[in-house]
Amino acid sequence: MLYDLGRADLRIKWLVTCLLATLGISYVFGALMVSLYAGFTPERVAATYAGHAMSMPMPPETTMVKEHPMSMLEFAKPEVHEVDTDLLIQDTHVHVPMYGLIAATLALVVAGLSLSQRWALGIITLLFSAPWLDFAGMWLTKFVSARFAAVTLIGGWAMGLGYLAVTALAIHQMWFRSRGVNR
Amino acid sequence: MNLVLRGAAIAAVLHITPAVVLVKRPDAVQALLPGADAYVAREVHLSDPDAHRLHELVDWSPDDGVLTFYNGKAGATVVGALTFARVDTPHGPVEVAVGFTPQGAVRGVIVTKATVETKPWVLEAVGAGLVERYRGLKPGDVPAGAAVLAEHAGKLAVYIAGEVDKGVARALAAYGVFHNHVRA
Repeated sequence: MLYDLGRADLRIKWLVTCLLATLGISYVFGALMVSLYAGFTPERVAATYAGHAMSMPMPPETTMVKEHPMSMLEFAKPEVHEVDTDLLIQDTHVHVPMYGLIAATLALVVAGLSLSQRWALGIITLLFSAPWLDFAGMWLTKFVSARFAAVTLIGGWAMGLGYLAVTALAIHQMWFRSRGVNR
Repeated sequence: MNLVLRGAAIAAVLHITPAVVLVKRPDAVQALLPGADAYVAREVHLSDPDAHRLHELVDWSPDDGVLTFYNGKAGATVVGALTFARVDTPHGPVEVAVGFTPQGAVRGVIVTKATVETKPWVLEAVGAGLVERYRGLKPGDVPAGAAVLAEHAGKLAVYIAGEVDKGVARALAAYGVFHNHVRA
């Protein structure tokens, strides 16, 4: 195969390594952001995307008021970061193309690895399907059931798994396998 | 190519800029309901027709169908009410706290949240006197902070002032139509 990262020029190996390191940094901070704004449990993800809508799915027939006393401590309580439909549209609009580019970039790395066709196709499918699951989970959580928060979590973890698999294979084949040239 | 890909990766993390708390909620409550020592959260659950009515007024209604006002009292004296209004901009959400006097006029407006990207624009707009422009407005008035700022602030500050105007307009409409006109 002409495109083989294991035998690639040193500059290409270094480029791919820098790319993977950069993506790794972005994934770490992405995970930190998720922990700050949505969390890693189905309950917190459901609270973020389903919000009040799940606890009161049907609007009342006539407008009604509920009152309850508030203490200053309650104002100070950490708020649940809620993503409403407008914000989810915006998030989807901006994230999905970028996730597609990242998946495509990692898939290009996969194409340069010595893997059986089945494994390569499997990893490429994982790279693209993970963000699909991530966002499908958010929309389903908002409009179908809070149970779909698990789909978002699976998608998120699958993104991390896909990145780690590609990185581990690429680093191993580029730098630790002895058949390469220009090491 | 590496540069492009790196840029894309960094952009992937940064494009939705995280919310930045400019003023904590308790501080906003104390500033907009001065002297209050007791608070009541008044949640107005909108029917479909009322949500539609609000939408007609300000091109917005709450996603969860609930408007929340916080009424403050000092002893037996009503100090006023406040509500938090969020505006989703292409640069992330901006939240404003709008406080009302017992007579129903705007006592004050505080921008409580912005994003990493919009924070400097908000600070410039507030520094140029944006929030003072809203004082005394009553339901039915149209907030025009952005128009006033246009002559002496940068374009991005004027832009974000327009978004703050939207938040204040939503709060005015919500307060005017639903705060006192629905019984608990």
